[in-house]
Amino acid sequence: MRRLDPTAKFFALLALTFEVAIQHNALFNLILVLLCLVALLISRVNLKTLGLLLIPSLMAALGMFFTGYRFSAGSNMPVRDSILAVGTSPLINGITLASHVLAYAGLGFVFALTTDRVQLIRSARCHLHIPQVFAYGLLAAWGIFPRMLLEYRRARAAFRARGIRTFPVSPALLKPLLVKSVRWSESLSVAMESRGFSGQAERTEYGYSRFSAGDWAFVVACCLIVPAALAVL
Amino acid sequence: MKNQKTENWKLKDVIMMAILGVIFSAVYLLVFQGGLALSTALTPFGLSNFGFEIIYGIWFMAATLGAYIIRKPGVALITEVLAAAIELLMGNSGGVVVVLTGAIQGLGAELGFALFRYKRWDVVSMSVSAMLAATFIFCYELYFLQYYLLAPGMLIAQLLVRFVSAIVFSAVVVKLAGDGLAKTGVVKSYAIGANADIGKVYDDEEEA
Repeated sequence: MRRLDPTAKFFALLALTFEVAIQHNALFNLILVLLCLVALLISRVNLKTLGLLLIPSLMAALGMFFTGYRFSAGSNMPVRDSILAVGTSPLINGITLASHVLAYAGLGFVFALTTDRVQLIRSARCHLHIPQVFAYGLLAAWGIFPRMLLEYRRARAAFRARGIRTFPVSPALLKPLLVKSVRWSESLSVAMESRGFSGQAERTEYGYSRFSAGDWAFVVACCLIVPAALAVL
Repeated sequence: MKNQKTENWKLKDVIMMAILGVIFSAVYLLVFQGGLALSTALTPFGLSNFGFEIIYGIWFMAATLGAYIIRKPGVALITEVLAAAIELLMGNSGGVVVVLTGAIQGLGAELGFALFRYKRWDVVSMSVSAMLAATFIFCYELYFLQYYLLAPGMLIAQLLVRFVSAIVFSAVVVKLAGDGLAKTGVVKSYAIGANADIGKVYDDEEEA
């Protein structure tokens, strides 16, 4: 997974997500989730990160399961009965809806956890022809990210030291972060430009990325897996 | 032609948009977990959809704040897409489509500012743009989340709650945040700070 070209991977997974959206086969969705997990394990992702990421999607899936379970049971919801009934029994209906949520999440994680940010931007620059001022601006902003995290923790600790309680997205925390970030972004752009960076000038590239046979195979596989699976299942 | 297009983008604008994207992607992710909890709590009443509607306006904040600070065509769309893309990389459970939804919301927001020919930057233009973003994404959800299956009355109620949320978060809160930022003086080189009334500036660059 890590060796695939990020652009190819993104569009393949996007296509697959849409194909998943238009079918209602719980078994296929669950197999797909398993495949995603296998792909993630083969790519040796950090298990702790994966576990933490899975919690909210499991919650969402559970919520969806009960929604599907109750709505198809024909309760007096402000919803028409037959609507969410894609399966024959409430149980299957709930599982189908929940498995969709898990499949979307799984495909998202496959992309997020196996893609290197720098490679992604390089690849997008190569294949999608995004202007270089964007490519390098993004890379620069990505470089500031660890500092922003540090600043956030520092601000939080400072408030705690004064006995002020803050919740994770409270304005008191975000405002100094925003101010600092704006300052950083300015000095960073001045630094880059003073070292000769220009958005317009032609420049040579250190690494070119091309779609390999493996990338194409992955795209084709992602496009064909749904029709193939539906024919078999 | 192409050269002229990229010339409009200064490096500092791009880094600014990217940083707003990073900050808001983190905010989105945290708020998403909160919304999930809220809507799970509302599930027994069959109102789980409203859990997200109440806070839906938060998702357009990156677009309107970016546009409010930089005030150039295209900023709302690009900032929103960047925020969505970074959100995906941070591990959003919505999957790969968040980039697409970001683009749809960004387009809506962009259209709002375009209606005023990129000349009006206040609560009114931001409200219009946030409401358009809300409408755009609602149309998409009608199909993708199969909302068209829900009762029409429910849908209208949902849309109204979303409008209110969009105005509160993406116009009023963003206006306050933007003006607050302008007052600190850090954005004086952007359009927003050009004629802002700058109070006392604390320059405490302790890092180096």
